Amino acid sequence: MDKKKILVVDDNPTIRKGLGVRLRANDYEVLFAEDAISATAALVMERPDLVVLDLGLPGGDGFVVMERLQRNDRLASIPVIVLTGRELAGNRDRALQAGATAFFQKPVEDNTLLFAIRKALDISSGGLRFDQ
Amino acid sequence: MPKQPGSNLSAYLSHELRNALACIQQFGKILVDGLAGELTGEQREYVGIMLENASRIRSVLDSALDGVPRPPEKCANQVERVSKLET
Repeated sequence: MDKKKILVVDDNPTIRKGLGVRLRANDYEVLFAEDAISATAALVMERPDLVVLDLGLPGGDGFVVMERLQRNDRLASIPVIVLTGRELAGNRDRALQAGATAFFQKPVEDNTLLFAIRKALDISSGGLRFDQ
Repeated sequence: MPKQPGSNLSAYLSHELRNALACIQQFGKILVDGLAGELTGEQREYVGIMLENASRIRSVLDSALDGVPRPPEKCANQVERVSKLET
């Protein structure tokens, strides 16, 4: 079976590296983008199965990336998990309203993130409903 | 660092401290889980201590910046798992 492809978007290279190690160890193919512009390009060119998205990015923040995603019919169904260092207030609700599947503040427990990823991928492939 | 006190400072602290803490926790767990090679029992113990304290800082951050008190239970589990591996 093909590995699921995850796009990690974060401007912090250490965070990208750590997430890459963890996700690859869990059998995912991992792509990286460090700003909103390269994230948008990677979404269009690579069409990942899921995006782990930081909100504070150069070149337009994570909300801009989600807006571009939602506007593209081919990409709108890709689940987005927001992983940010930003405050809860004003960001969590906004991210969920913008189409994020889940919202986590850094640092997140690996198991929590991996569970959310598995669940989001299952739902997007039609294997699970939200209430399962 | 922002010149204006208040919410800008809080946003700045949240972003900077959470990112730094996430790096410490991420790579600590990578070490503990053996993803960068097996550790000795003593090394695991020390990384476990680092993770436990990172979890405490996270708890303080959640409480101070977002008003969300959160006990450091998950990291404690991680440390417990490490000690089980040693026995």
